[in-house]
Amino acid sequence: MTAKTADGKEVYNKERHYHPQATDCRTNKMLYGAQVKTQYIRDTSLQPMETKDESFEIMLPEGVRTVDVTVSLRYEIWKPDHMIEIHKISKKVSLDR
Amino acid sequence: MKFLKSFLVVFLIMLPISAFGEKAKTIEELAAMYDSSSCKECHAEIYAQWEQSHHARSLMGVLGGLFMTPLAMKDKTPFSPDDPSKATLDTFPCFKCHLPQAVVSADDSFAVDFANALIAQDKERLGQLRITCIVCHNTKAIIHKRSEGYPEANVLYGSKEVAAHEDARFKKIKKSSIMDHAIMCGQCHGMGPNLEFENPVQCATLYGSYMHNYLSKGGQKSCQECHMQKVDGFADHLIAPNWNDLDATKKLLQEAISLDIDTVGYDWLLKSKDHKPMVVVNTRINQNAGHRIPDG
Ligand code: HEC
Ligand code: HEC
Ligand code: HEC
Ligand code: HEC
Ligand code: HEC
Repeated sequence: MTAKTADGKEVYNKERHYHPQATDCRTNKMLYGAQVKTQYIRDTSLQPMETKDESFEIMLPEGVRTVDVTVSLRYEIWKPDHMIEIHKISKKVSLDR
Repeated sequence: MKFLKSFLVVFLIMLPISAFGEKAKTIEELAAMYDSSSCKECHAEIYAQWEQSHHARSLMGVLGGLFMTPLAMKDKTPFSPDDPSKATLDTFPCFKCHLPQAVVSADDSFAVDFANALIAQDKERLGQLRITCIVCHNTKAIIHKRSEGYPEANVLYGSKEVAAHEDARFKKIKKSSIMDHAIMCGQCHGMGPNLEFENPVQCATLYGSYMHNYLSKGGQKSCQECHMQKVDGFADHLIAPNWNDLDATKKLLQEAISLDIDTVGYDWLLKSKDHKPMVVVNTRINQNAGHRIPDG
């Protein structure tokens, strides 16, 4: 998710990764490749019939009172640049009424 | 008399071998044994769906990458032989699910041919090796081999019996106990690490997720009910997603996964007289599959 000021300056950028993660148990390095993966050490994937909630708190820099917030949910296939953007939601959020 | 006796002995020894067929020694021999192109004539829709499926390109499913190549290269994996000419079936534990016909119908000479083709990146030859109609409707159609016997040559297995099937080779279809059950797919879609090999191998684990985290929450659909819904009257053999068709897969994923956000902007009172400009973005993601997304 990103937050940008009106003139396009990025003030916040955080990613969350949802997937099972494995090592070969011989070191603590996460590995890809069926020939070495041995056990999951962590699983952050989306589970059936469960909701994944996140809360991103963005402390704005001095003087910034309005940002354009964009949340993009992507499925990466093999490598980050080969991906499907499943949803993208943008919203202007202001501190002033 | 002596001649006749020795003839009989030879005959008796030959029977079991020919019943299971000779073992394939080359890519072409194995491809021919499991060739399903004859099915196209009568099952045109199903055949066309299957041809676009990952099962029809089970050695290079995503963007044509031959992912078993490192296994044929010295020192690249724990399974790699010193030289492709020394490859055996044990070099490729991946065959268990990506090419199960090699496990039952090929021998080590096939593994050498296969390893050389990987080194040569010969996609045309390797592309003949697929999870064909015969693999699912014969090889993988019986799991209770003690109770029901091994899949018979020249018999196919479906969700119902067909006494007279018109195919030239497979003249009969018997009912499989598992064809419409999740375990049909679970045989290859994995439960966790495969520990029967000399080193652990872990690829798909989606069937484990289905068993332990979907059924446990009350989900009762089979894989087939979600992935093989009837299209024009026939069970869909595309068995989506097709990761090479990004547009269609995007639509499926949009239907399967929802994203909602809520936001608020306010001046947060961190401590007395110290207001901080704060924006909070809450995201909520749900999915409606019968297992984790993504797997593996
Ligand atoms: C000459 C035509 C013809 C050919 C060739 C043919 N089939 Fe069929 N097949 C049929 C017909 C017709 C039926 C439907 C029979 C019925 O429902 O009574 C059928 C039914 C089936 C079924 C259905 C069983 C079920 O569960 O409903 C399967 C599985 C099947 N065929 C697989 C194959 C495969 C695999 C091949 C290729 C090796 C093949 N067929 C080749 C005509 C053919
Ligand atoms: C327990 C069965 C099983 C074993 C053993 C297995 N795989 Fe897989 N593999 C699958 C299944 C099923 C998929 C597709 C479904 C998925 O990705 O969840 C898959 C997908 C893959 C993919 C991603 C798809 C693609 O075409 O790029 C790669 C890469 C892969 N396997 C490599 C391997 C390698 C290498 C081995 C052997 C060292 C291996 N697998 C062993 C079942 C297995
Ligand atoms: C003989 C083993 C085998 C059986 C049986 C099998 N699959 Fe697969 N399946 C695979 C392999 C291997 C792949 C991945 C091939 C590749 O992309 O390299 C795959 C790919 C898929 C994919 C594509 C998505 C992906 O991530 O690759 C889906 C969906 C799928 N299978 C569902 C099913 C369903 C549903 C069944 C049961 C009706 C089933 N499979 C039965 C081995 C099998
Ligand atoms: C990945 C495993 C797999 C492969 C590969 C596969 N099938 Fe099937 N097939 C199934 C399963 C599972 C069913 C039962 C679906 C159900 O009951 O919902 C089925 C059902 C069928 C039926 C009955 C369809 C109906 O709706 O009445 C026919 C006919 C058939 N398959 C033919 C073929 C042909 C021809 C091919 C090759 C082009 C093929 N199958 C490849 C798993 C497979
Ligand atoms: C309740 C419906 C449902 C059931 C049951 C179900 N699936 Fe899925 N499956 C989905 C949906 C939805 C997706 C994601 C969207 C899509 O690609 O169709 C998916 C995705 C997949 C994928 C791609 C996974 C990845 O890594 O992204 C595979 C492989 C697969 N399913 C196989 C299976 C197998 C095998 C079974 C049975 C053990 C099964 N599914 C049971 C609905 C289901």
